[in-house]
Amino acid sequence: MTDYQEIGLKSGIEIHQHLATHKLFCPCPSELRQNKPDFTVKRELRPLAGELGEIDPAAIFERKQRKYYIYEAYDDTTCLVELDEEPPHLINPEALHIALLIAKMLHCKFPDIVQVMRKTVVNGSNTSGFQRTALIGYGGFIETSFGKVGIQNIYLEEDAGRRTAETPESVTFRLDRLGIAEVEIATAPDCKTPEQVKELAEKLGMLLRSTGKVRRGIGTIRQDVNVSITGHPRVELKGVQELPHMPKIVDIEIERQQDVIKKGEKIEPQVRNVKEDLTSKFLRPMAGAARMYPETDLPLIFLDSNYISNIKLPESVESVKGKLQELGLSPDLVNQLASSAELPMFLAFTKKYPKLNANLVATTMLVTPKEVKRKLQLQEFELHEDIMDKVISALDEGTIVKESVSAIMEELAKSKQKDVDSIISKYKLMSDAELKKEIAKLQKEFKGPPDKLIGVAIGKFRGKANPQKIIELLKK
Amino acid sequence: MAAKFSVNDKVLVETKGSKYEGIVMPTLEGQEDVLIIKLASGYNLGIKLTKEVSVKHVGKAEKGKQPSIKPPFRKNLPSISIITTGGTITSKVDYSTGGVSPLIKPEEVFLATPELLDIVNIKKIVQPFAIWSEDMTSAEWQVIAKEVAKELNDPEVSGVMVTHGTDFLHYTASALSFILKGLNKPVAIVGGQRSSDRGSFDGGMNLICAAHYLKSNIAEVAVVMHGSTQDNFCYAIRGTNVRKMHTSRRDAFRPINELPLAKILPDGRIERMNKILNLRSDKGKVEADVKFEPKIALIKYFPGADPAILEYFMEKKYKGLIIEAAGLGQVSTNEKQKTVWTPTLKKLIKAGVFVGFTPQTIYGRIDPFVYSAGRILNEAGVCYLGNMLSETAYTKLGWVLAHSKNLEETKKLMLTNMAGELIEQILPKAFSD
Repeated sequence: MTDYQEIGLKSGIEIHQHLATHKLFCPCPSELRQNKPDFTVKRELRPLAGELGEIDPAAIFERKQRKYYIYEAYDDTTCLVELDEEPPHLINPEALHIALLIAKMLHCKFPDIVQVMRKTVVNGSNTSGFQRTALIGYGGFIETSFGKVGIQNIYLEEDAGRRTAETPESVTFRLDRLGIAEVEIATAPDCKTPEQVKELAEKLGMLLRSTGKVRRGIGTIRQDVNVSITGHPRVELKGVQELPHMPKIVDIEIERQQDVIKKGEKIEPQVRNVKEDLTSKFLRPMAGAARMYPETDLPLIFLDSNYISNIKLPESVESVKGKLQELGLSPDLVNQLASSAELPMFLAFTKKYPKLNANLVATTMLVTPKEVKRKLQLQEFELHEDIMDKVISALDEGTIVKESVSAIMEELAKSKQKDVDSIISKYKLMSDAELKKEIAKLQKEFKGPPDKLIGVAIGKFRGKANPQKIIELLKK
Repeated sequence: MAAKFSVNDKVLVETKGSKYEGIVMPTLEGQEDVLIIKLASGYNLGIKLTKEVSVKHVGKAEKGKQPSIKPPFRKNLPSISIITTGGTITSKVDYSTGGVSPLIKPEEVFLATPELLDIVNIKKIVQPFAIWSEDMTSAEWQVIAKEVAKELNDPEVSGVMVTHGTDFLHYTASALSFILKGLNKPVAIVGGQRSSDRGSFDGGMNLICAAHYLKSNIAEVAVVMHGSTQDNFCYAIRGTNVRKMHTSRRDAFRPINELPLAKILPDGRIERMNKILNLRSDKGKVEADVKFEPKIALIKYFPGADPAILEYFMEKKYKGLIIEAAGLGQVSTNEKQKTVWTPTLKKLIKAGVFVGFTPQTIYGRIDPFVYSAGRILNEAGVCYLGNMLSETAYTKLGWVLAHSKNLEETKKLMLTNMAGELIEQILPKAFSD
């Protein structure tokens, strides 16, 4: 067991989260596209003379290799702003609002005046040669079960283009991602154990989702982990995909740093890329004082303190969880629902059908559709809210039993959610008289051992009658 | 209370509950109650200077060193001279202040485009002034023209490059086309739509292609800039038939009514596209005939335009007007309309003011014989300038008026082709995408 205190572990994270709104400096949608791009644009980026005026020999070398970039674009979702052919539009006010909301939830302070900056980027992922970014909050904190973790800075920035291909002479980027509004949250290196790092990432992720205003799905959130032990400067680990792997990744990096110190190798702050086996590979030296200068095409943004104090905070995940527990939900369903986009729908149903078991409502909404999706090997399956309401209302009225729900959903999936009423009515329970008649018939015809009869009857009338009732009738 | 501080001071700022250390950045006029500081992270942050704010001076930021560049000389390369006049192409962000300003030394152009030095030797860089192009007047054209002629007459110089702001670049291009007489070497006018401090600086390829153009045998004043939104080629476009057709795109400059003179690839390949070309020769000298009449105006006819606006020019003793007319060359000649222009135009012409019409459609030529309005106006003495671009007609008129004795001669000179501005054969290809 590593004594993390003794080795002086200091760790923090940086989270990049896409916001659920259009792009930050143009009206294009924040949509990652899968279909073939409509056109491409070939560009070069020029090496910039250093701030001291010298031409970097490496930059000229690279230039002689004729490195160029290809940008993939779409006729309907790429505009002149992403193509670096038009100045940025004024900052998306909705994105600014969401970023300020997040900063407020993290107890941050706010600058009086925000200035959008250009951060020089030389890898071609930005058509302009820089990324637009703004400091919108600082000096906050978040609670973890191991103690408070400081929030150093919160930035609102545009995401870069998406790398889709590479040859020795060129790199191809898709412009669908360039310009998507994202917040970057940089925590202080206050985590003292790898487990705390993981919890911190989970907590921040949950807090972001609880706003209901962040994008969900692959590629919409990105975490980097910073690790340093006594005697080794900060190392930034990029490409941490799965939160459960975080402690392992931190432990591996600690070992690596200890090894480097022991061998007396040259120790440098650096950025490393996490590989699939969770070890990491050197990516580049840590950027020095980043080369930043103002985005001269945009005016200063004056933050009104009244505006900020009027931003309404969403209910915290903890308090939502408490409410769900009171409804009698199983701990597993509480966790699933608390950070789910389905939460408002669930609460509406429990209010509309107060007598129905909340676990049944939650299972019908969250678990069964997933099972159906897997069984039928569907890409997507999500019931429309009004159809879900019909299913749940049938459960509430007792016209169908919970055993029928997955069969009903399978049929709905196959019918593309058409003929809803006829599908549900197919699974309607038999009336008491009908059931009595059918059971009497079965008893007469059944030739097997009497103790097997109950099982056979339940199987035969599955989804058509309440099993409890079948047993009762057989006992008579 | 806020202490006295100035740009580049290192300060410690304390307000309710917050402390910041940073470097003071300049603020805009009218925002004196705001302090912008650059934090160690490079981010800028603004503070409203209220009573609660205290600013302590803790030092001075280190200033960046000024670059020193001596362009090398290579025997096997031809030499060019560069006249820099200002504009985006020779401006950059000052990293310490964030303001866009002209390059301190014109040599800094090479910092952004070092490959230039593999194509040509830079014999001389002249910077007569550095201004944005919308601030230019005919006086600046005269200065530029004299510098260009001086450099062209240096036998070692293969051609001259003029770097310029893009907004009114095409005015300067056409003015030089008329002022420079006996042109026997190429002159390239180059601008940039993105400044040189960004990786996406478009002026780099423009400068490179312009250097290739100056090595060519095409002895024309041409605008050399991006031919597409990509960094794949430039067009050299005749100085009299070029116009800025977009506010921000790299390929904003388009040839009007004719094809570009040439397509130039950054690797040096040149593809001629236009048969009407003046070619390089060793004979004669280039003269800058800079006499220019500035008392001229360019106005646009619009629906319901009150002819009384013309009276102003008469009162102020203007010598000539270029009017952008509707369609094939019409303004209102309907006597029943209150806004009929014919009587006022007649009055102007009678007073000796030159009135020339150009197409406000930009593309195509005007023709007085298609509609009765045209015939009436032609009869009234309006000079129909064919395909001539309004901006080109304007600069030509200034030159012509300074070189003619009377209205008749002015008219005759205006209708004489001097620098490719009057196109007899407009090819269909000259109006596709």
